Amino acid sequence: MAPSLHDRLNKDLSTGTSWLVVLAVIARSDELIHGYEIARQLADEAPEGMSFKQGTLYPMLRSMEADGLVRSTLVPSTEGPARKCFTLTAEGRRVLASWAESWRASSRWVNRVLGETDARR
Amino acid sequence: MHDADQVPSPPSIEGYLARLEVALHGADPALAHDALIDAEEHLQAAVRRGVPVDQAIASFGDVDEIAAAYRNLPSGAVLPTVERDRGGVTAAPAHAPPPPAPGTRAPRLSDVPIVGIWFDGRAWGALLYFGGVGFIVATACFVWAVTLGGLAVGLLPTLLGLPVLVLLLGSARALCLMEGAVVQGLLGVRMPRRVQPVHGAADVGFWQRIWCWLKDVRSWLSLAYLYANFPVSVALFSITLTLAVLSAAMVFGPLLQAAGLPFVSISSDDVTVRYFWTELKPTADGTIRLPMSLALSSVGLGLALATATLWLVRGLGWVYGHVVQAIQVARPQAILPHR
Repeated sequence: MAPSLHDRLNKDLSTGTSWLVVLAVIARSDELIHGYEIARQLADEAPEGMSFKQGTLYPMLRSMEADGLVRSTLVPSTEGPARKCFTLTAEGRRVLASWAESWRASSRWVNRVLGETDARR
Repeated sequence: MHDADQVPSPPSIEGYLARLEVALHGADPALAHDALIDAEEHLQAAVRRGVPVDQAIASFGDVDEIAAAYRNLPSGAVLPTVERDRGGVTAAPAHAPPPPAPGTRAPRLSDVPIVGIWFDGRAWGALLYFGGVGFIVATACFVWAVTLGGLAVGLLPTLLGLPVLVLLLGSARALCLMEGAVVQGLLGVRMPRRVQPVHGAADVGFWQRIWCWLKDVRSWLSLAYLYANFPVSVALFSITLTLAVLSAAMVFGPLLQAAGLPFVSISSDDVTVRYFWTELKPTADGTIRLPMSLALSSVGLGLALATATLWLVRGLGWVYGHVVQAIQVARPQAILPHR
């Protein structure tokens, strides 16, 4: 079945923002962070009515690693096999800073336009 | 509709992994291997933190969605999207931009039939691998495996051989992974990035963990690979080097002669040199020179042989790479949920 207009708009809206929040979660961690912990924090902080399909995080992390934004390290664990943990690279920090600034500017723009629209109703 | 959709989601990690494996059917085996490891590691981490299995699985995502996210990986970034799903808004993988349709991609020199192989990076990578790197790596791994294997067998009656054997099996898997990275770099066959953890070894004591390692077929498969790869690498090294040197001699011999260096120089008149189908006699100064027609034929045949060699090593690289990949992605038979 073809996706509805609503679905397509939501897709467009979400494109990129998940990368942004994943980079932000990794950046704010003081130490290497495991994929599960990233997923848990994203799920905990998701707005009401939104959920994050945690399994999509891992291909995303692999893409980020391939793009040089994050670096993974196998960390021994007392709970089981060594775990793959992540940290941001210098390039990842640079991209995050630039992307966050773009996001804030876009957000201000959208909110201003939406505010004017709401005021005229 | 997918077959796996016809059965209810079982509340077990093994069942979920089996369904994910089915959903990944047809994907690159190394990619599927990585996806299964990611899922297994995540779900086990969730369960260890007290999350119920069914809830952990539901949060992780539908197998088809996850499989789609991994399938999109090679063509670029996997961008999550938001879509309405069961009354909520759910992040799901977006499809990466489709690869350019055939014909729209800029033509490359490697696309030229037959001689395009000279511009194919994988052919040169395979030549480098079979002509040296692979031989060196295989020899080093073989020496390690034979040394540690002999020590393990020798010490086995004293029980000290058991930890040595476990060390050998563990190192065999690590060496296989390392070898896989080299193969991926030079032969272009994708390899898993991680060794799949030994199932069941995480939550048990030392001796049980050793037992898990011993009975894991992949450990023995990796070890067998280290032993069997040595003679194979020696054979491939010999074939590759012989063909490469012969091609080079046929091409560069006449060229050196043209540059003033005689093909052969001897001190006796009573010698005949046969170069392929032509008998050559030394000239008065004791040098043997190829006639022009033979020199040109030699260069032509040398180039043809070099081209054939590149095709051969590229083909061998494909086969060899997929054998290594098959060993690395081997995992216990997935247990599909009962219908």
